[in-house]
Amino acid sequence: MKHKKSQWPWHVLTVLLLIGLAGALYYATSLMSYEWRWNRVPQYFAYHAEESQRAADISTVSELARQGDKAEVTLRNEAGDEQHLSVDANSLQVAQGDDVAEGDVIGVTRHWAAGPLLWGLWTTLWLSVVSGVLGLLIGLATGLCRLSNNPTLRDLSTIYVELVRGTPLLVQIFIFYFFIGTVMNLSREFAGIAALSLFTGAYVAEIIRSGVQSIARGQNEAARSLGLSAGQSMRHVVLPQALKRVLPPLAGQFISLVKDTSLVSVIAITELLKSGREVITTSFSPFEILFCVAGLYLLINLPLSKIASRLERRLAQSD
Amino acid sequence: MIEVRDLVKVFDTRGQVVRAVDNVSTQVAKGEVLVVIGPSGSGKSTFLRCLNGLEAFDSGSVSIDGLQLADPKTDVNAYRREVGMVFQHFNLFPHMTVLENLCLAQKVVRKRGKKEREAKALALLDKVGIAQKANEFPSRLSGGQQQRVAIARALAMEPKVMLFDEPTSALDPEMVGEVLDVMKTLAVEGMTMVCVTHEMGFAREVADRVLFFDHGKLLEDASPAEFFDAPKDPRAQAFLRQVL
Repeated sequence: MKHKKSQWPWHVLTVLLLIGLAGALYYATSLMSYEWRWNRVPQYFAYHAEESQRAADISTVSELARQGDKAEVTLRNEAGDEQHLSVDANSLQVAQGDDVAEGDVIGVTRHWAAGPLLWGLWTTLWLSVVSGVLGLLIGLATGLCRLSNNPTLRDLSTIYVELVRGTPLLVQIFIFYFFIGTVMNLSREFAGIAALSLFTGAYVAEIIRSGVQSIARGQNEAARSLGLSAGQSMRHVVLPQALKRVLPPLAGQFISLVKDTSLVSVIAITELLKSGREVITTSFSPFEILFCVAGLYLLINLPLSKIASRLERRLAQSD
Repeated sequence: MIEVRDLVKVFDTRGQVVRAVDNVSTQVAKGEVLVVIGPSGSGKSTFLRCLNGLEAFDSGSVSIDGLQLADPKTDVNAYRREVGMVFQHFNLFPHMTVLENLCLAQKVVRKRGKKEREAKALALLDKVGIAQKANEFPSRLSGGQQQRVAIARALAMEPKVMLFDEPTSALDPEMVGEVLDVMKTLAVEGMTMVCVTHEMGFAREVADRVLFFDHGKLLEDASPAEFFDAPKDPRAQAFLRQVL
């Protein structure tokens, strides 16, 4: 007779351990008299931006109408031309009949604007997506070249994969920016994306190659014996099965890519990490900001692995 | 219909040279059923795979309806669509339903319309007795059902010749019969067939000729009555003593 032991006390223990760890960290920072100021953080995500509305010419306030929070101001200059301005009512600097000079502030309009952390998140996202898609295409082509019967294609793809896998990504980014970027006059974004997608491509190529090789030879033989050409067999029979099989390592590679985009901060692309570091210089709250940055990376990667496992389950329906 | 002349296939792996098919010549007439038997490693499967170019041979010639396989001008894909093949391990495409398995080559190679290819596929599934499984994935089918789907898949291309590579060797004994029944029906309908098999009963009942292979050599080519009752070659005699 096997007794089924309940699991929940262990889960409780896990939670207690985590709380203990967090408490210890908090205590340690309090010893070095660090002042936590989480309330400073939100403004770096989004803030209320002010935009000054200025008079275009020497003129007089001819009309002034308040509509709720807004104030409609009409200025008339000596030539009789009118300028209409709409400003926030509580920022209004003028009254009816006032004379204003060119460039005088009449009032401000306020609107929500994305802060540096959001911009950094956006940059990280599009860098990841663009280099991910390019890397997948490069990897697919290279992986198939590695399996090709043509010796030149095979040699070239092998050299590419070994070169990229054998050197650090950081070095590749520097080479792309300072050497290739200078020679070919590339923008820093272009250099960054090129380095990231070539790096990802090499790893994806190996994943694709191993996936294709893991499909039983009989599959290809069955397809060829039905009269399909080598390409048709690859396209309709081998690749669909291989892609299904390589989905987990591919997802891992893309998660790595998202994290590796932080390296392009060294060539002054203001992605998430670099905007975080810029924010630290103005907020003097390094710990809070770094935790936020880490949290934002998690925010991208957790859904990514969730989507991957869901896709995996959906594709497994034929097994 | 099939003409094989002086066929030689040599495997050379790390200095070990094996003459898997050694100077084999034979021919198969239209509508004839050939059964190839022999001990394992005798080269009978390799011989069969040479017939549709899955294995590239070293010398000699293979032709079907006058179309030379070794001729560089021959489009090997066009050649293969006239030759159906059934494998020991079925090799159904696991990511497609049974119906899609039957339709893929019709669509990609024969360029048939959706209606036409599905009608053809369903008719063939009906013929092999598993029409109700059309929308299942192969993993849901028993071995015997999978092998019948594989036969139907090959037939969907309307081949002139069918090659069977030990089609019942990977099956549970109780499922052998259903596959052999399908093959017998094909033989009765006049399909030209070459079968590598260990089913002696099938060979005796259905075959027009029996080929006996050992060490890559074609040692005996006789009618089943002659072969089973009075084999001439001593190795064939020894083999039959073991299996009968």
